[in-house]
Amino acid sequence: MTLIHEPDLGTPAVANDHDVTLTIDGRAVTVPEGTSVLRAARGAGIDIPKLCASDNLAAYGSCRLCLVEVEGAKGTPASCTTPCADGMVVRTDTDTVHALRHGVMELYLSDHPQDCAGCARGNCEIQALAVQTGAAEVRYGRGGASHLDDTADTSNPYFTYDPKACIVCNRCVRACGEVQGTFALTVQGRGFDSRITAGGTDFLSSECVSCGACVQACPTDALTEKSVIQLGMPSRTVVTTCAYCGVGCSFKAEVQGSGDDTRVVRMVPWKDGGANEGHSCVKGRFAYGYASHRDRQLSPMARDSIDDEWQVVTWEEAITRVAEGFLALREKHGVGSIGGISSSRCTNEEVYVVQKMVRAAFGNNNIDTCARVCHSPTGYGLNHAFGTSAGTQDFASVEQADVMLVIGANPTDAHPVFASRMKKRLRAGAKAIVADPRRIDLVRSPHVEAALHLPVRPGTNVAFVNAMCHVIVTEGLWDEPFVRERCEDADAYLAFIAGPEHSPEATQDVTGIPASDLRAAARLFAAGPNSAIYYGLGVTEHSQGSTMVMGMANLAMLTGNLGREGVGVNPLRGQNNVQGSCDMGSFPHELPGYRHVSRPEVREIYESLWGVTLQAEPGLRIPNMFDSAIGGSFRGLYVQGEDIAQSDPNTSHVEAALRAMDLVVVHDLFLNETARFAHVFLPGASFLEKDGTFTNAERRINRVRPVMPSRVGKDEWQVVCEIATAMGYPMSYAEASHIMDEIAATTPTFAGVSFARLDAEGSMQWPVTQAAPHGTPTMHVGSFVRGLGQLTETVYVPTTERANRRFPLVLTTGRILSQYNVGAQTRRTPNSTWHPEDVLEIHPSDAELRGVTSGDVVELSSRVGTTRLTALVSDRMPAGVVYTTFHHPVTGANVVTTENSDWATNCPEYKVTAVQVEVVTQAARANAGAGADVPADAVAGRP
Amino acid sequence: MSTAEPAVVRMGHDLVRHLEHLPGDQAAMEIATHIKKFWEPRMRHELLARIRWGDTTLHPLLVAAAGDLVDGEVDRGEIKEPSGG
Repeated sequence: MTLIHEPDLGTPAVANDHDVTLTIDGRAVTVPEGTSVLRAARGAGIDIPKLCASDNLAAYGSCRLCLVEVEGAKGTPASCTTPCADGMVVRTDTDTVHALRHGVMELYLSDHPQDCAGCARGNCEIQALAVQTGAAEVRYGRGGASHLDDTADTSNPYFTYDPKACIVCNRCVRACGEVQGTFALTVQGRGFDSRITAGGTDFLSSECVSCGACVQACPTDALTEKSVIQLGMPSRTVVTTCAYCGVGCSFKAEVQGSGDDTRVVRMVPWKDGGANEGHSCVKGRFAYGYASHRDRQLSPMARDSIDDEWQVVTWEEAITRVAEGFLALREKHGVGSIGGISSSRCTNEEVYVVQKMVRAAFGNNNIDTCARVCHSPTGYGLNHAFGTSAGTQDFASVEQADVMLVIGANPTDAHPVFASRMKKRLRAGAKAIVADPRRIDLVRSPHVEAALHLPVRPGTNVAFVNAMCHVIVTEGLWDEPFVRERCEDADAYLAFIAGPEHSPEATQDVTGIPASDLRAAARLFAAGPNSAIYYGLGVTEHSQGSTMVMGMANLAMLTGNLGREGVGVNPLRGQNNVQGSCDMGSFPHELPGYRHVSRPEVREIYESLWGVTLQAEPGLRIPNMFDSAIGGSFRGLYVQGEDIAQSDPNTSHVEAALRAMDLVVVHDLFLNETARFAHVFLPGASFLEKDGTFTNAERRINRVRPVMPSRVGKDEWQVVCEIATAMGYPMSYAEASHIMDEIAATTPTFAGVSFARLDAEGSMQWPVTQAAPHGTPTMHVGSFVRGLGQLTETVYVPTTERANRRFPLVLTTGRILSQYNVGAQTRRTPNSTWHPEDVLEIHPSDAELRGVTSGDVVELSSRVGTTRLTALVSDRMPAGVVYTTFHHPVTGANVVTTENSDWATNCPEYKVTAVQVEVVTQAARANAGAGADVPADAVAGRP
Repeated sequence: MSTAEPAVVRMGHDLVRHLEHLPGDQAAMEIATHIKKFWEPRMRHELLARIRWGDTTLHPLLVAAAGDLVDGEVDRGEIKEPSGG
């Protein structure tokens, strides 16, 4: 495939049912009313030159290159800011406009380097436009005042800003504001002195979040990826899907070379990507270097004991060792003594074959996935309420939302591309209710201010949502027709929630939310008219995670906010394929498609296809595996793409379990923390090497296409098949698409999915069935999948993990923008420039009580463990709550988290750990200038 | 380190705390159903063994729910449409 140049029609598409017809250069063109002349012309193949216009930005009318003549109108209007009208006659190719464009281009050229490297490499539009406008010569000479001696800003690790090539077209400034919503860039000065600046400082020190929208927008070489400067321009494109968060952005991987010599030059977000529509974040666009990092392990390794050195072995030897090891354990300790963990970072096809290996070759249901520790309550709660273990909307739905309730999610850090969509909608007038202990960016950031910030105390979400529903019911704000027609157990629920114990006045001392604020929030949400709930792990990772998901479903049903655009209950999934790994039967009680293993008619589908008898009993969940390992009955584990020794709670318990096992097999890119306890290491393939699909948070199935061959010589699904085969259960597929064919043949919601259909459609959202052949963007239209929606009496039960005299603070954990989960990927990229270590954020009063100042090393202790971090005093924390991330193994944040978990799913209660903080060293205080409280963003928030 | 409470006891008591508000026999029935849906047989076996041993730390509701459990193979047809998660 060659390099894909996506067309740029100059101004955004206009949604309008009414069309107008005009004539452009003698051709009749019909477009929706409101469309610009520039877009209409370019859409008709008439190439009007432009510099400041882009079809992802509002028309600006600055560069004066897109001038046209309109019959009957004065002057030569800019076509980008001129809307089409019925009967309009436009001429784009007259002597007058040619002369004007020529003159304008000469002015640009007079202050543009003659030796522009971007022009030379083809990354600068100036040269092409000079040719198009015939402005090769400059009448004014080049000896006058210019910016050709300006100095480049190379502070950002991923791109440079070279003002010499800048034409101050404002595209970067507008992209930063309109697309990303950060407003970090501006134009400083006037007239000739106008210069782009990142807030008067360099890019690295600025508010810039390094999303790269400015680089993508720049029509010249002023903002350029350092990789392009280093490697030159790419020569071909492979469209694929990002392997970071659950947004699932589509990218053009632009590369040089082929085969084993393939080099990624840059990642450019794909405009046709359904999830991201041409936008990206710092991780997806820039942080792909881990795939070629020197730490990648490219050969299988083995050792007899975890105290031995690793020995490189052949694939054949490694697979034989794994297979014989598992067979021996099964023979000696029983069929339930071995199991596997699949990964939300792997493709649907890889996950499917892992659960198949466990069920068909291991002979049990001891298969679980890392979704256990993040969104398993989402599956439980939404399936209970609606009948489907998935979110109800697509991302574009937010553009129709009038009110957003954001709870337990920090989208600007964890789901930044979707956060940009949210912020765009908020700037357009939608209201936000942010329920979060911390003052996250959505509470207040440039041009965005939440209507209400409800600082709900960790562990009290259910009391909060019940109070919301109480107000809505007792004040008569509920949607009675919707509830009566579409829900069941309504009367019992209404009587339950009307109880005075749920009132905001009764719960405010528990939740920390003033009753008046909560009543205002409930009224705002009920008023809508389109109110949507967006949530993250701040909901699920609690002892009442599943109850809270049901509580939010209650809130949506009570207010009739389901079954159309702009509403719904929307989980923001943590990893790229959390949804998919759950869909693919990775839970120990479910076969693919969320069908319980106890159902004989479902087992029959697989038994007849796979030629085995499947167990009807549920298998072990991840924490059960650990407990059983320590108890001695679970002896062997295959782990794919999850670093359980760093990511799972109560690290010492996890490590004890791993040490207790006879055979631990790690299948990963790196020798991670879990590999310290492994006996066999199987090298994995990065997302750039995979062929398959990911399913994002909106149920969108995206293709993952191999940009380069596997650097380890095998696909991961192939390795899994070879293990199963060596264990006596032959498993093989000629290619990854055949695995998806098997998934589609056996899973009703995937019935219409195939690689060929995905390639043709771009992406599809499940269910993809005969009734919905192109997928289902919005679920539960008209009726719920389970029939009637289930209203549930969500009793608030306080967690047993409570602050006390010994541990008076509550620790909650989360992510930061530049790093990703356990950091295995992002720590091996320049993203660590922004977040080289995990820090402990602490409220000023809690800090003062303990003599803590920013920069101090503090000891963080809980009833299960102790670790040390650098403190950051931050008033975005509420008093009594401290916060840290878990991106760095040296910190070991999960050393202190406990075995408490969601009552229904065993999802760990990461968000509530009673802790104490004590100063260890005050070294920072001794440094000049240290000790002062600094804004949280200065250390922890950017990018 | 981990807490002294065995995992099945902790998990069983979590179920009790979150379902004990249900009226009549429904709480015990829901707890038993949950265990049948989601607990691996050796966990169910351990819980029943603790009851046989006379573990006095177990909540009476958990013990009552366990009366509906069978140690070993069970008739899976008795389980209602299960939930995800």
